[in-house]
Amino acid sequence: MILEMNNIQKEFDGLEVLKDISFGVDSGEVVSIIGPSGSGKSTLLRCATFLETIDGGEIIYMGDKAARTGEDGKAVYAGPQEMKKFRSYCGLVFQQFNLFPHYSILKNITDAPIKVQGKSKDEAEANARELLKKMGIEDKADAYPFQLSGGQQQRVAIARALAMKPEILFFDEPTSALDPELTGEVLKVIKQLADEKMTMVVVTHEMPFAKAVSDRVIFMDGGVIVEQGAPKDVLGNPSEERTQQFLRVFER
Amino acid sequence: MTFETMLSTMASGMLKTGLIFVLTLIGSLPLGMIVALLHKSRFFIVRKFISIYISIIRGTPLMLQLLVWYFGPFYLFGWNIGNWRFPAIIVAFVVNYAAYFAEIYRGGIESIPQGQYEAAQVLGYSKFQTFMRIILPQVVKIILPSVTNEVITLVKDTSMAFTLAYAEVFSLAKQISASQSSFMPFLIAGVFYFVANYVVEFIMKRIEKSMDYYK
Repeated sequence: MILEMNNIQKEFDGLEVLKDISFGVDSGEVVSIIGPSGSGKSTLLRCATFLETIDGGEIIYMGDKAARTGEDGKAVYAGPQEMKKFRSYCGLVFQQFNLFPHYSILKNITDAPIKVQGKSKDEAEANARELLKKMGIEDKADAYPFQLSGGQQQRVAIARALAMKPEILFFDEPTSALDPELTGEVLKVIKQLADEKMTMVVVTHEMPFAKAVSDRVIFMDGGVIVEQGAPKDVLGNPSEERTQQFLRVFER
Repeated sequence: MTFETMLSTMASGMLKTGLIFVLTLIGSLPLGMIVALLHKSRFFIVRKFISIYISIIRGTPLMLQLLVWYFGPFYLFGWNIGNWRFPAIIVAFVVNYAAYFAEIYRGGIESIPQGQYEAAQVLGYSKFQTFMRIILPQVVKIILPSVTNEVITLVKDTSMAFTLAYAEVFSLAKQISASQSSFMPFLIAGVFYFVANYVVEFIMKRIEKSMDYYK
């Protein structure tokens, strides 16, 4: 198991957003999380990537506990030094890309490996150019984010996350901010990563994509996992009424 | 008094004006950043102190602040500080301008989207790295026009050192004009301020332009 999340609880101002959620991700597995907005999908990703702190439960990366429930029932996180290690295990691709506008594309990708991981400039740049090539935008190395289309920016964001060599990569609705004709190019590179056995968790509304790339689909609603399993089961023949309801909207 | 003598007498005042200007910027530009960051402190008492400081500075005339800094130590504490005139001027200007710069910085920092912090955090940047490498460079670009405004105001505000009878350009102009019954010193002072601000504007435009490479 790369990641295990057990009995995760999270509330915002008294509103329970995650209610006792448990799930795990194996090495090389691609998991899609679907569900209506407000179901807690994004919050779950933000908890897994430590952008939000959980109120209760366990987060275990590579067998080590990053967070556990303390004696008083509240979540306790590992010390700052250990948290650095846990953070280095995971990467996150945002809906809004969040590239650094003042850095060139190349620097967006190389800065963290150099400044955070202490890689040499040459090594980081060589790796970045390779990643850009893989993303099909090697000619954009010297451009700035504002000069790129949304689809290109999102591919840079994926390259930036990959440059840190994470064990697991999370995507928070990676194509939701894109024009329909640009989603394909982003989904294509995610598909390519799936073929290379990159461990990934993707929150998405793209059902055909979820069906095509995932090993497992999780349907969330109201802060709980309603149903999970192979894509052909969850998406093709859901056993829960709420899942059926949700998927009907997409068929229209 | 010939025009040349007037000019050379006033030149010493121009130097003093320039000194107030430069020292104020050197002190208040970084101090303003510290104030802006303290304004976002997680300690309520610190935030409260900073907001009181800013509202006092913005709510009272700089001229009054100059007098308080100069006379305050003696009247309030009975201290007799030798050669206090020039330091009092610089302290008053730095403390005043830091408050204004702090508000500009704060606006700039708050306009950076949360996503920038989150992206940096997920990539493992420390808080200090995030601020220095990701946030600050973007803040500088955003606030530059407002900073230019303040700097131009500062050039003209230096004339308030006149209140403490410090012999900068404006004080000298008034003095010479009275003793020589001449209007010329005022014209010289006017041209001086105008040219100084022309230079400020030119330099700031260049800096703004150097940051045009991204949006």
